[in-house]
Parts: sequence; structure tokens; C-alpha cells
Amino acid sequence: MHLAELSLTHVRTFARLEWELTPGVHVIVGANGSGKSNLLEAITLLATTRSARARSDGELVSWSALGDVAPLARAAGRVLTRSGERVSVEVAITARPAAGGGALGGEPAAAGRRFRVNGVARRASDLIGRLRVVPFSADDLAIISGAPVERRRYLDVTIAQLDAPYVRALQRYTRVLQQRNSLLRRLQERRAALHELDFWDEELARNGGALLHARAATVAALASEAAAQYAALAPDDGALACCYRPGVPSELASRLLGGASEEAIADELGAVVGAERARDVQAGVTHAGPHRDDVAIAIGGHAAATTASRGQQRTAALALRLAEVAHSLRRTGDAPVLLLDDVLSELDAARRERVLAAAFAVDQVIITTPDADRPPRAELPGARWYTLAGGVLQRAD
Amino acid sequence: MANARDPGSRDAAGPPGAGSPIQRLVEAFHRLPGIGPKSAQRLAYHVLRAPEAEARALAEALLEVKERVVFCSRCQDITDQDPCRICLDPARDRTVLCVVEEPLDLRALERAGGFRGLFHVLHGAISPADGIGPEELKIAELLARLRDVDRDVAEVIVATNPNLEGEATALYLARLLSPLGMRVTRLARGLPAGADLEYADDVTLARALIYRQSVE
Repeated sequence: MHLAELSLTHVRTFARLEWELTPGVHVIVGANGSGKSNLLEAITLLATTRSARARSDGELVSWSALGDVAPLARAAGRVLTRSGERVSVEVAITARPAAGGGALGGEPAAAGRRFRVNGVARRASDLIGRLRVVPFSADDLAIISGAPVERRRYLDVTIAQLDAPYVRALQRYTRVLQQRNSLLRRLQERRAALHELDFWDEELARNGGALLHARAATVAALASEAAAQYAALAPDDGALACCYRPGVPSELASRLLGGASEEAIADELGAVVGAERARDVQAGVTHAGPHRDDVAIAIGGHAAATTASRGQQRTAALALRLAEVAHSLRRTGDAPVLLLDDVLSELDAARRERVLAAAFAVDQVIITTPDADRPPRAELPGARWYTLAGGVLQRAD
Repeated sequence: MANARDPGSRDAAGPPGAGSPIQRLVEAFHRLPGIGPKSAQRLAYHVLRAPEAEARALAEALLEVKERVVFCSRCQDITDQDPCRICLDPARDRTVLCVVEEPLDLRALERAGGFRGLFHVLHGAISPADGIGPEELKIAELLARLRDVDRDVAEVIVATNPNLEGEATALYLARLLSPLGMRVTRLARGLPAGADLEYADDVTLARALIYRQSVE
């Protein structure tokens, strides 16, 4: 698939941007702070409804819009799939200036997000995955070296774009978990009865079972692909191994990794959650469930987060992203759009070649770089070059 | 420059300081649901320029709603007489009772017509994260009423919202009422009337398929 048109209004540094794109490689050259990352962030927003970088949606609304009666950031795109289907997607974020304050009164608080698919108002879960992207950035290092929450977020964003029911299960699970933990604390204070847990336990098991099942299948698929990519990127290094570590007791974990059905997993998670009620009440938190998941990543048999070098970690992150590209293509029969946010300049020639090979195998790639000579133009035959300055994008072939 | 976007300062009336009567009114309006800072400002200045009688009528209506409006001791709906008109209406069907979250939901069902039974307003839905358990809702009042006053009720229709909190409330009520020999039902969910299939979201469509009906 490829993005045929991108339109931004009041998104971060862009007061207004209209960009018509073709399939192929697009390289955007811009100084640091010119908004290159913001542009890729906006495209990711259209694919996932979320920004990987913003702490709150309000940050996405450009300051220039905050004087308006209804400050609004709008990103819209037109997508063309390999089968010839045209889809338009739109994410609008309304911000409200912080209460009682003016433009300098603090961070804008996001007041709401609205989504449209083909011009019709839809839920977030109906928009995610219409445009699919695989974003490569320096922040990917956190997938390898960061806390478990980074790996869960990586899995969520990856699976969500391929599996609409996953998004709904995730949204529901998150809300159920919050409600159940609140109820556990009320139980601690003896302000609730134990049977009030019944509904939340059932919902936790059903939605949690769906998440566990999807994550197990995805990690298994990504692991073999990532291992192959890593071996090609670092032929002299040990093997890259990714292993799903579900946040459930070991018996259920081994049933899950053994390929049990989603229904069986949900039933067993229900039994586990029921058996742990007393412990959960005592602690005031839910112990078992996908919110405690992690992925163990090892290079040559040693935990990558603690023993691998920066270079190894960076290569492992790259291998995972390349695996994601292959996985997305295999699952849907259509290639995702690749977003390379200033990642080529730090790679050696052999690794750069590997990434560019993947880039030329998909339908569309958008590359940002601070340096007009890196990557060398000779490595990107047929690429379209642009400069970005002051929120304005211009052709520079 | 910083003041250019400060509420109030754009107006010809000049920049009132914090804590001034006009600023207090702006803030009071801003606290209301659905009123942003700009609307609050507009409303406050409207009141300022309106004739005094109009402002007085508004103030009296505000006070009156707190002083005169009470909850019906049977259905817990807001009313100015207790029991309320619906609870006293001899034409209502006293074998069916519909449970709703908010008085506004009751109004919506009344407006739709077609239901001639009794109502009960819970004033919320179970949501532990917001500190709302069954105790905080008018559930004890519902049980007392079914036991002491409305003993002919054979069916309770749970018309809570089709979201997590509404579903939690419905399940809680079903487990409470079924052992009392009452039929507990839930509102159907599916496609909105007059809608296009093409525009329905996936969740609604999937539910409409599950709860499909045979064509008579």
C-alpha cells in the first residue's frame, strides 16, 4: 500500500501542509528541529491513532491554533492498497487551552479525538490498520533495553494494525483492569462485597485471553523472522532469540506457548484470576494477566538488555523492525509503508544496504535525514528528494 | 501578548481582576458540563448586560431547583411532587419496571413512547474507579420498593448503557433480582433505525448479527 496524499492542519510545527505522494522512496532533508520527525509522527498517528512521542494528544495541536475558539489539529490521508482500494482516513484532535490560562497558561489539554474513515465518523478501532506503517527510529533501542512496558507497547502497536478485534480487546481490557484494581482497593477498605468482582473477572479473562493468544502468535512469528534478519545483519554474532513471557502462572504460560486455543486460554485465565482473588485483594492490584507480559530478548544466550553492547541492541531493534515488515506483508498480502526517521546515517554500509533492500521491496518508504549527502544519493536510485524548513516541504531533486 | 488570550481581556469592559464578580461568574459557568472558557465568558457578559429582572429570574430558578425539586421516594426520579406523576398514574402497567441510569434516560424512553410500565432511576452505574459501587446507587431503594410497594412487578427491564459500567450494573441487578422470581431482561442492541449498514461500525454490526431476529 502507499500513502497518496497527506494533509495536515495545525499539527505541531505545520500550520498547513498538503503533500501528494507517489509509490517509491521519498527522502526529506531538514535541519534538526525542522519538523521531520513531526511529519512521520503525523503519518503514524493516521495509522495507529496514537503518537509514539507525545505525552498527551494536546501536544500535537500547534500553538498557532490555540488562539482559535476551537483549536483543532487535523491529519488526513488517502491510502491506495495493492488491490486498488482507496481509503481516506482522518484524525482530528481538539484541544482546550488550559482552564483559566492563556497561551502561556500551560500545556494544552486534549479535549477530544475524532476519527473518520472515508468521510464517515468511526471509532478508533475502525480506523487503525487502514494505513499500516512500520516506524524505524532511534527510540527503537528502548524495545530492547527499556522496561517491559516498552515491549508491550511495541507488540500492541504492531498487532493493532493487523488485527481490529485486538484493538477492542485491548481497550476493554485496559478499562476492566482499572475498574477491577479500584474495586480491589474498595474491598481492602471493606467498602464492597467479594461477588462484585464476578463481572470484572469474567471480562478480564475474556479480553485478557484474547490479548495473550494474539501476542503469543505474533511473538512466535516475529521471533523466527527477527533471528534470520539478525543473522544476516551480524553474521559473526550469536543468535537473536525472542521469547514471549506472558504475565500468568507457569502452567498457563506453557499451555499458551504450546498453542492452546483462545477460548481455552480465556477459561484458564478466568480460573487463575478467581484463585488469586485473596492475594489480589491483599495487594490491591491484579497479579495475573497480559498487563504483566514481557518478551525475553537474548543474543547468543545472554539477556540483550543487560549484557549486549549498544551496537548489538541497535542491530537487534533493527532486526525486529525488519521482521515486522515481513510479518505485516505475510499477514495481509500488502506491504506496510516504511518510515525511517533519521536511522540510516548511523548505520554502517552493510547494514544500510540491508535496510534499503527491505525499503525497495515495499511499495513506499519515507526517509528523513539532517544531511543532504547521507544516505548517498547513489544508494537511492529513483528516490524523490525534498527539503523541509519552516514547516514548508519542497521538492529538491 | 500573554494577556491577549486571557478570558475577559478582549472585551470592551476592560480586564477584570481575578476574584471580581464577573470573573467568579465566568468560572462558575466554566465549571458546568460542556461549557468551555469562551462560552463561559459569553454567558457571563450576557448576564451582565441583561436587564436585572432576567438575572434575578435566573438566580431564582437556580436556587429553586435545589430547594424545591426532590427525588420521588419510589422511582428516585427528580420531581416536584412525591410520589411523582408516573408512579401515581393509575393507567401505568405495574407488572413491568424499567431501570435506567439517569433521569435523562427516563425522559428519552418516555419521549419514545411505547413503554407504559414503571421506572426506577439508579443515578449512575457501577464504576469502582469513580468510587461508585452498588451502595452508591439507588439499588437498596429498588429492592425495598419491589418488596413493599410494587409487589406486582414480574419483569425488570435493565436499560443501562451498553458500555462496561452499564453491563456491570445489569449483571449485578440480574443476579440480585432473578432469585426473587423476577424475569430480568436487557434492552436489545443492534443497528440504529434508519441507518445504512455500510456506515455501521464493526462492533454494532457483529452484535446485530448475534441478536438477529427471524422475519415473521
